[in-house]
Amino acid sequence: MKVIVADDSRLVRGLIERAAVSMGFEVVHATNGREALDLLEANVQDVNLMILDWNMPVLNGIDVIKSMRGDDRFPKIPVLMVSTEAEDGRIQAVISAGAQGYLTKPFTADQLIDAIHSVLEKK
Amino acid sequence: MVVSEFHQAITIIYHEQEMEVISMKKILGIDCSPTVAKTVSGLLGENDHIQYENFHDEMVLNDYDMIILWMGQRQSNVVEQICKLRYACNFQNIPIILVHGEQQDVSSQPYVIAGATEVLSLVNPSPACKHIIKGYLVPSREPLAEEIEYLNPFIKNTCHVLKTMASLDVTFKKVYFSNTIRIFGDISGIMGLSGNAEGTLVVTFYWDLAKMIIARMMGTEEDSIDAELIHDGVSEIINMISGSTKKEFVGTPYHFEISLPSVVVGPGHQIGYLQHTSVAVLIFQVGNQSFALHVCIKPKAKMP
Repeated sequence: MKVIVADDSRLVRGLIERAAVSMGFEVVHATNGREALDLLEANVQDVNLMILDWNMPVLNGIDVIKSMRGDDRFPKIPVLMVSTEAEDGRIQAVISAGAQGYLTKPFTADQLIDAIHSVLEKK
Repeated sequence: MVVSEFHQAITIIYHEQEMEVISMKKILGIDCSPTVAKTVSGLLGENDHIQYENFHDEMVLNDYDMIILWMGQRQSNVVEQICKLRYACNFQNIPIILVHGEQQDVSSQPYVIAGATEVLSLVNPSPACKHIIKGYLVPSREPLAEEIEYLNPFIKNTCHVLKTMASLDVTFKKVYFSNTIRIFGDISGIMGLSGNAEGTLVVTFYWDLAKMIIARMMGTEEDSIDAELIHDGVSEIINMISGSTKKEFVGTPYHFEISLPSVVVGPGHQIGYLQHTSVAVLIFQVGNQSFALHVCIKPKAKMP
């Protein structure tokens, strides 16, 4: 199983990697939304999950989701958005754009693992 | 009550408060000879409680209202002393007055950058010198009820972020309002606020505490934490504090939008704030170390 983790924070990518590896994922890192889409294009056959930050330089997380959902090559890859944005309207906008799950920062490792399981079940 | 009685009552209260303010102050004189101590006592008056000590590395300054340091060594040593004293202040706004015995002006810049509040000559001190020192003993104002209301969510969420991400018990210690743009800490995470309310949020740590927190967030040893990861972690901490607090202001004049955070490193760094807006400095304690959250927020307009 392979997951692309896109966050401009090396620390957050590290936290997510630790949880994902414990679940058996191979983790590929992206520092912004553009990199995440490029990596997805290069690994389209292998990627089982995208974990995206919302506020990233170059291309933000919600624009990545919109690009993915508008592209026939990867419409079914599940997306978990991880963000500090905690307002109901914002969360709804992400789900409407095509994410399967939303986790608000700060989070514990257990909350992250639960959120990943939940997103994979919705696939 | 007639007007004259009212004025008399106010005057009595004012005098009582002034007496109390002056008589309750605790001042520490450091490296002061008996001659210097006599001059300092003359400036401060008999009501002040002045203790004298020689400088050492383990000074505890939490209870003092003012530090008076005699510039008895060469510049680099005095700068080092001031840095250590400022660190020992734990982000409290304790004025550090550097006094010297030179006739001519001494450049205050290196000392102010290190953390001194004022540099004064004790040679034939003018009456203004006394007023300057007394001015620094006037206590900061207490937060207004409206200010408490918007500060509480920041306090709650700062504690929550560090509890959740680093399993740390953080205690809120105190708040004061600052007019200075200079921040005495090693690293600050900065978030610009826009939208209905604008301003700046800044979280400031000394390096050792930042490193400890980031190591706990990563679940690893401090030795494996490099400078880039500390920058990253401090940036993420201010991001999380801002994001989680933002939600609580929905529908209020204090609701703001956040952007990408930035980080500034180096002791004595300066942050630009909005003009004519109070900066609340919230001091938190983790074990025996402290960090600060600077909150400068101004609603653009009142909500209907």
